[in-house]
Amino acid sequence: MHLDPLDRMLLQRVQDDFPLDPRPYRVLGEALGMPEREVIERLSDLSRRGVIRHIAPILEPGCVGIRSSTLVAMRVPEERMHEVAGIVNEYDGVSHNYRRDDDYNLWFTIAAAGEEELLGILEEIMRRSMIPPGDVLNLPVVRRFKLDVRFRFLTEEDDDGRDR
Amino acid sequence: MDEIDKEILWSTQDGIGLEERPFLHAARRLRISEEEVVARLRRLGQNGVVRRFGTRINPRKADLMANAVVVWNVPGTRVAEIGAAMAESPDVTHCYERRTIPGRWEYNLYTVLHCRDKEDALRRVAALSRATGVADYRVLFSTEEFKRRPSGRIEPAKEPGRVQ
Repeated sequence: MHLDPLDRMLLQRVQDDFPLDPRPYRVLGEALGMPEREVIERLSDLSRRGVIRHIAPILEPGCVGIRSSTLVAMRVPEERMHEVAGIVNEYDGVSHNYRRDDDYNLWFTIAAAGEEELLGILEEIMRRSMIPPGDVLNLPVVRRFKLDVRFRFLTEEDDDGRDR
Repeated sequence: MDEIDKEILWSTQDGIGLEERPFLHAARRLRISEEEVVARLRRLGQNGVVRRFGTRINPRKADLMANAVVVWNVPGTRVAEIGAAMAESPDVTHCYERRTIPGRWEYNLYTVLHCRDKEDALRRVAALSRATGVADYRVLFSTEEFKRRPSGRIEPAKEPGRVQ
C-alpha cells in the first residue's frame, strides 16, 4: 500500500490530534498547509483504500456499561475452524476474533455488563461449538496497564522530530 | 452523560462524514448547533467517556502486517513494575494483566504489538524481553481476522420521543 509523505502526515495528525471543530478538515488543512478540499479528498481516498476504517469517538468501555471483559483461547480442530469462528462471531459482546498460529489457535475477546453475563456467553459458545473445557482458556482482565491503539506513520525521514 | 450526549455518541460512533461540515447531520437531528455538538464531544473527552476522537486505522493497510499477542510469565511480585515498563513502549498498543490457570496456563501479562512484519515484531519482542528480564514468553501471530470492531458501543435511546 503506497502512502506518500503527505498521506502519512495527514494520518498521523488525524489519529493523534483530530480538531473538534465544526469544520475539522479546514482546521487540519490550515495546520498542514493544505486546502480543505485536498484534506477531504485524501482522507476519502485513504478510506476507499481501507487504510482508515472511520473517524469517530473512541469510547471508554467502562463508561458505556462494560464492566467485565475477557480473552478466550480455544483449541479448535483445523477442519472446524470456520464453523466455530462463525459461531463466536455471532455474539455482540465479541469484538475481536482471530486465528493465531499456536496450539490454541482461536483467540477472541468477550465484553459484557457483568461477570455473569460474560460467563453465560462463554458457556453458550462452548456448548454450541462443542469445544470441551480442557481445550478452552478463559483469561479475564485483572488490570489494564495500557490501551492505546495508535501507530506511527511518519518514517525517520519525514518525521518532524515530534514525540508521541 | 445526558441524553443529548448519548445521541451524539450514537450518531458519530460509526464514523463522521468526509465532508466540509461532518457534524451538521447530528446537529440538525438533535436541533442544536454544530458548535454545541463539538463542545459536547470535547467535554466527553475531558471526562473520560471518549478516550480519544480520531481515526480507526486498519494496520494491515498501513503496512503494519504483523499483529502479535505476546503472553509473558512474569513473577507475581514484578507484574506492576513490568506491566508499567511494557506499557511505556510505543510498540505496545495493549498491555493487560490477566488471570492464570494454574497448571495449564501460567502467563499473566499480555501485550499486543503491530509491526511491519514478523521479523520486526520478533526483534521488538526480544528487546522487551531483554529490557525486563522476562524470558518465558510466547508470541502468537494472527493469521486470519474473523472479527474486529470497537469494544465500547452505545445503544440507541429507546424512548419513543426520540428526535429523528
